[in-house]
Amino acid sequence: MSSKLSKIISTAVFGALLGTAGVSHAANFPEHRVNLVVWAGAGGALDTYGRELSKLLDEQAGWQTKVVNRPGGSGSVGMSYVLNQPADGYNILVHTSTLTFSIARNLMPYKLDDLRFVRAMQGEPSALAVRKDADLQSAQDFVDAMKKDPEGLRVGGYGTGGFHQYMLYQFMTAKDFKAGWIPYDASGKVALALMGDHLDAAMMTPSSGLSQVESGDIRLLGISTQERSSYFPDVPTFKEQGIDLDDMVWRGVSVKAGTPDDVVASIQAALDKVQASDEWKTFMKEQKQEDLSIKDGDFQSMAEKQLKTQSEFLKEAGFQK
Amino acid sequence: MSSIMDAFAVIFSFSGLACLVIGTAVGVVVGALPGLGPSIGITLLIPFTYNMPPELSMLLLVALYMAAEYGGSVSAILLSTPGTAAAAATAIDGYAMTRQGRANEALAISLNASCVGGLIGAFALLLLAKPLASVALEFGPAAYFSVGLFGLTSVASLSSGSLVKGLLAGAFGLAIATIGIDPISGVPRFTFGVPELFEGIPFLTALIGLFAVSEAFSLAEGGKTETHSITPRVRFALLSLTQWRKLGSTIVSGSVIGTLLGILPGVGGNIACWVSYDFSRRRSKNPDDFGKGEPAGVAAPESANNATVGGAMIPLMALGVPGSPTTAVLVGALILHGLRPGPELFASEPVLVNTVLWGLAMTSIVLFFVGSLLLPVWGWVLRLSNSVIAVGIGCMAMLGAFALRNLMFDVYMTLAFGVLGYILKKFKIPMAPIILSMVLGYLIETNYRTALITSHGDYAIFVTSPLSLLFLVLSVLSLLLPIWGKLKSRR
Repeated sequence: MSSKLSKIISTAVFGALLGTAGVSHAANFPEHRVNLVVWAGAGGALDTYGRELSKLLDEQAGWQTKVVNRPGGSGSVGMSYVLNQPADGYNILVHTSTLTFSIARNLMPYKLDDLRFVRAMQGEPSALAVRKDADLQSAQDFVDAMKKDPEGLRVGGYGTGGFHQYMLYQFMTAKDFKAGWIPYDASGKVALALMGDHLDAAMMTPSSGLSQVESGDIRLLGISTQERSSYFPDVPTFKEQGIDLDDMVWRGVSVKAGTPDDVVASIQAALDKVQASDEWKTFMKEQKQEDLSIKDGDFQSMAEKQLKTQSEFLKEAGFQK
Repeated sequence: MSSIMDAFAVIFSFSGLACLVIGTAVGVVVGALPGLGPSIGITLLIPFTYNMPPELSMLLLVALYMAAEYGGSVSAILLSTPGTAAAAATAIDGYAMTRQGRANEALAISLNASCVGGLIGAFALLLLAKPLASVALEFGPAAYFSVGLFGLTSVASLSSGSLVKGLLAGAFGLAIATIGIDPISGVPRFTFGVPELFEGIPFLTALIGLFAVSEAFSLAEGGKTETHSITPRVRFALLSLTQWRKLGSTIVSGSVIGTLLGILPGVGGNIACWVSYDFSRRRSKNPDDFGKGEPAGVAAPESANNATVGGAMIPLMALGVPGSPTTAVLVGALILHGLRPGPELFASEPVLVNTVLWGLAMTSIVLFFVGSLLLPVWGWVLRLSNSVIAVGIGCMAMLGAFALRNLMFDVYMTLAFGVLGYILKKFKIPMAPIILSMVLGYLIETNYRTALITSHGDYAIFVTSPLSLLFLVLSVLSLLLPIWGKLKSRR
């Protein structure tokens, strides 16, 4: 082949490529790299989810994605990063249910309406945990003990004014008892505090003390899933014990409000492919995560409902006047 | 037994050794660059381990972790810009040695101490993981408070010259530590509505500013005049017998301190080096030499911070709970392979566990060789002129400040700390106590308040918990002994 001919061919091919790029619309989203803006630092649960998502979007949907960590300000930093970009879907916020807490506590100068909710994909329940040798056998035992002496048991968990304390608050309202709250600044430390007899009962994510839960050193008296979790089939739900307590922390993705519908539809289609893949299912199993697929309007209304009850909780608990 | 043999087969395979060497080399560099520490280094490498067998990927990552703990000291010694927070203690005497033209000696001491510390930590993990982990469980909020307080008493040792200036710096650090969302009540304090301040001022930001940026300013101010009286040939890595006789006990005690403190989640690496520095100064015959280029002032913190690696792995392997930010990232790397660290891993994946445990011991040995090979490279750094070094430090510092959280805000904050550091230098106010009390302020405050919530406001909890009492007594002793010593010598 003469060099001239090859030049012509390559020009033609290149031109064709350019041409296809030129005529493409949002239906061909994405045309270039998509940023997954994780609003937490590297290495945590949210980052792990974001990185798996990035990998599977590349593999399953043929996207080109990049994880961008923007931690800080209880999520404000990541949020403002996304909100300062055009509403074109190229910056997808990877976030958690901390969103509603941060807004309820005025830690974040944004509203839910600033985002277009796309999909909640992972959920983790809270469970009432005690040490192996504790007298308590059920969630009701715990309620009875707290009613008898609100200061008798040392109750705590991860975070201040966060999800687990909020679950305890809902628990207290449902069963009309009082309990204190001893906050720990890392979820792993909660399991250690239980084991070391520095706490008597904790509201915790079961996976944060998985070794101890599986070995039986920590017993779970109730779990906040709607039905029994497939990961902890022996742990009764709060619901089946007659306690109206079902809620989960979620991790999901959203884009800036005003992102065109067809772009969001393309993102949804790609997420469908991700969630249908075996890799995703294995990943969720390994992480002991509940597989959620709460989309668009449903996702938004879930967040709105949570914002409302959490604001009540924060007022009640004295975090917000 | 056979799983140990299998583990050795993995470690000594070509790919196993290659992982150790690559991990170590990357670790030293990542550790030496201010702002990039072991946890960021591991996070950066994790994507490359997706398709590797879990054994090899863990070898690569633990090698990086271990080497980064040493790497932090390289820039601390050569340029007074500690690459990691743990190396800030090393900078004091290490940089003083460099200015006396003893950079090669300081680097060799750091390398030897790091390797021995790493080995002792690794063997503690191999032999004593279970009992040591149960000790970690005994530490409640009250005990953590007392450990923090004990760490704070080493401010006195860090204030070479004027104790008042040291205390001033320490108080300033504690004040900075109160910035951010109150960990107990959730109320933002001194954040002035700036969301970037909600998590507080990261101590790496302060560290880079106070040490690196201010050093760049000083070098720039000095112009072309030579402050580094250079002995550029850095080549001999193994310490001589005489040096070992002098420094051996410091290195061993530093390693033990590092291992024990490394076990405590959230405490470990950040305070072990200071406690070790303080300890070696107190038992030294010439405590006044510390801060002026005393070799033990390099050996003590460096052995301690590498020993924390093994220590921090103990709660991870024995309880499934990470003992340091870096081990938390390691958990993420394991989970990618569908493995969850914890005691049950010993039964389900014995080869992997043994590869990690013995591999960690091997990393120290590999570190010794890789570190020795890299020494001439550092000599080259010293031959650069001051103007080049000043610009280089400045660039590295800005990059590191940004890399921490990808925020320009942090870069500006680092610059502000740089100006502050420059002013503090003029007034001869030591900067190490600022870093120390920033690290400890949060630990002390949260645990103090958590302990009091637990006891319903009863202060007795600090003395009825035996571990808390132990560390309170140690704190009082460490404050009173020097005073008593002075009174005695006056008589």
